[in-house]
Amino acid sequence: MSSVLRPDVDDLRIIGFYLGKVLGGLGVVMLAPVPVALALGEWNAAAALGLGAGISLSVRWLADAHLETRRTLSWAHGMVIVALAWIVGSAFAAIPMHVSGRFTSALGAYFEATSALTTTGMSVIHDLDHLETSMGLYRHLLQLAGGLGIIIVILALFSAGGSRVGTLYVSEARDERILPNVLRTSRFIARVTAAFLVASLVALVPALLNAGFAPLRALEHAVALFASSFSTGGFSLMQASMAYYHSAWVELFVMLLMFAGMLSFALHHALWSRDLREFVDHLETRTLALTGTGLLVLLSLGLVREGTYGDLAALVRKGLFTLLSAVSSTGHQVNSGETYLTDWGVLAPAAIVGAMAIGGMASSTAGGVKALRVALAFKGVVHDIRRFLLPESAVVVTSYHVGRRRILRPETARAATTVLLLFVLSFLLGTMTALITSDVDLTEALFEGVSIGANIGISIGVVEPAMSPTLQAVYIVQMILGRLEFVAVLVLFGYLLSFRRGSRVLGRVSR
Amino acid sequence: MSVEHSDERDGVPDGAQDGVQTSHRRSDRAAGRTGTSGTERTRVQDRRRVRWPLLGVAGLLGILLALTSVLDRSAPSLPSSTEAVADLPQPLLDEPVRCTRSDERASVDDVRRVLRPEGRITSAIVSACPRLLAGRDVVYVGEVVGDVLRRDGGAWVQVNDDAYALELGPFGAHREPLGFSSGLTVWLPDGLHEGLGAPGRHGRRGDVVRIEGLLLRTDPADGGGITVRARALEVLAPSTAVDEPLNVPLVVAALAAGLLAFLSWGWARLRARRRAL
Repeated sequence: MSSVLRPDVDDLRIIGFYLGKVLGGLGVVMLAPVPVALALGEWNAAAALGLGAGISLSVRWLADAHLETRRTLSWAHGMVIVALAWIVGSAFAAIPMHVSGRFTSALGAYFEATSALTTTGMSVIHDLDHLETSMGLYRHLLQLAGGLGIIIVILALFSAGGSRVGTLYVSEARDERILPNVLRTSRFIARVTAAFLVASLVALVPALLNAGFAPLRALEHAVALFASSFSTGGFSLMQASMAYYHSAWVELFVMLLMFAGMLSFALHHALWSRDLREFVDHLETRTLALTGTGLLVLLSLGLVREGTYGDLAALVRKGLFTLLSAVSSTGHQVNSGETYLTDWGVLAPAAIVGAMAIGGMASSTAGGVKALRVALAFKGVVHDIRRFLLPESAVVVTSYHVGRRRILRPETARAATTVLLLFVLSFLLGTMTALITSDVDLTEALFEGVSIGANIGISIGVVEPAMSPTLQAVYIVQMILGRLEFVAVLVLFGYLLSFRRGSRVLGRVSR
Repeated sequence: MSVEHSDERDGVPDGAQDGVQTSHRRSDRAAGRTGTSGTERTRVQDRRRVRWPLLGVAGLLGILLALTSVLDRSAPSLPSSTEAVADLPQPLLDEPVRCTRSDERASVDDVRRVLRPEGRITSAIVSACPRLLAGRDVVYVGEVVGDVLRRDGGAWVQVNDDAYALELGPFGAHREPLGFSSGLTVWLPDGLHEGLGAPGRHGRRGDVVRIEGLLLRTDPADGGGITVRARALEVLAPSTAVDEPLNVPLVVAALAAGLLAFLSWGWARLRARRRAL
């Protein structure tokens, strides 16, 4: 007999302490664009960002002063802190957005902040094309922070290290430690990010200059493109998204960044260590190569059948970019969202939906079900079929390569299938809500439901500033569930429930 | 990880569970409270202790929401940031007509029959039915925004025809939420783009231009994008700076938040120093 523990004041103290650190990190993100705002005379934007930063940093230091504790984080604490980091963190991140007035309501500002932090990249902002430079920078920095994981950012900046912070790392749906020490892992992630930032600037600034941008605008757009592509977030400085640049080189470099963002940091480490064998053998590399090729064929067939593009070059450029944008979960668009419905036929958008649902690699900045889970669920099904077909005495062993050769255990396959099913439920929730609350057809509702639930950001036009608050709220839930891959949020619900129904004594926790 | 659930629901009172599991980290609080009435009393006290911090957090979030709502509403706003563009040609259609499926292409011809002669295209009409006007001469009116990307014997420009461009001007001076920015890509050959002023960005409405040209559904020069290849350009309203009024209450609130953060930092350092002693 065991029971769920009813949290007490000490539990709240430890949760509040770490949540304060997360909010302090967000405060720094808000503070970063303030010099830009002051330099450009964007006084209202500077005040909005300063207000958000001041409040967030106050909470962080008050938490430091009053809630500091030496108690060890439990797994439940880690899960709850991570879930709250996204839920409460989005509320604080929305402060500058709400006071800017560019959102229909506070819920709209919260939607935008959640979309940024979960790297979904859907937007409900009014008049993006006249937005302040500093606010544009803030939206992109928020995505980068969300993509790399708020927790990782905070760890790298503030944490004293040690084993207890590892709990936060694992809770944040990053269950693959690259290096033995979590702090070293977060430093490795920061190093990889810095390297890609430098490489992006070296490649993108000349490409943008060549495309006709003035030097400062080229730098601004290069930084924004790096932040939104490597984080697989997908925000853009202009409403036209990637179609604004009219440059094959810019699109090519952004595709490389999206591809890099889609790779797990473990594979980055393998590539960093020149372990190409690991890259080739990795289950996710193979899964993505296989599914990507299949979906590209489907997408091309759809576009050819519909006669969307007259020449092969255009078909490949638009098709390949959109597919990579979908599978990497970035959400950059090379054409207006409505044209997926009005000019791409049926098969091509279906292939995009498939790519969005699968998503990128586990332990990367990408969203979606993740190639690893799709592959493990598939292998689990094949394993069961083989078991039924072979004699009862036969021992069926299924293996896969992730870091090393592993035996597929039933609980691993079951866990992958469970999360996959939860994603499907989330997609259905978004789809049904859109059908109920908006004047859209099934194609639109499904496309948007999958795009939101998998944190992709390619929009067919359902998400707009005037959409219903109910749909907005459901999409917010979908984004958070998708980003945290359900477990942390479900644990948070269990935790909240245990305030009323839990026992005062420690429950037996089995792993 | 799994956590097994049970409580009074399993028929075991809390007190009994306490007796079994007092060796855990809350044994100090649970010790000596194995009686049911004592347990109930402690439970109520525990709930009260937990309730206040939770209510405090909820209250903080509520205050934040109220504060930001007040600051949003207190922002000064003009009825419009620029004058509306006069003498705009009527759109080709009052409402965009969407072409969604291959088998509905016949409807494209039906829609063509009801197009308003001499009307202008809009980005909404083109996105809703790209095939409707593909390869035809069109008239398009909108504001040049972002950048003028000069290269290869001309310039790419983004020309928006949303309500910010043609009616109220950029968001900021006015705070009327009118939806997404929207527009079309226009290619201006050399000879047409040289006279353009600064494009629209924050604090500026770009030139509002009337363009005559050819609408391409898949322009090979733009990698298959929808473009208007301009032949003629007329500036209907020149680029103008738009001053955004300073939101004084917001500035005051930001300074107060900065002061609060500074004091909190000082307080945290003081507490840490005391703890160290």
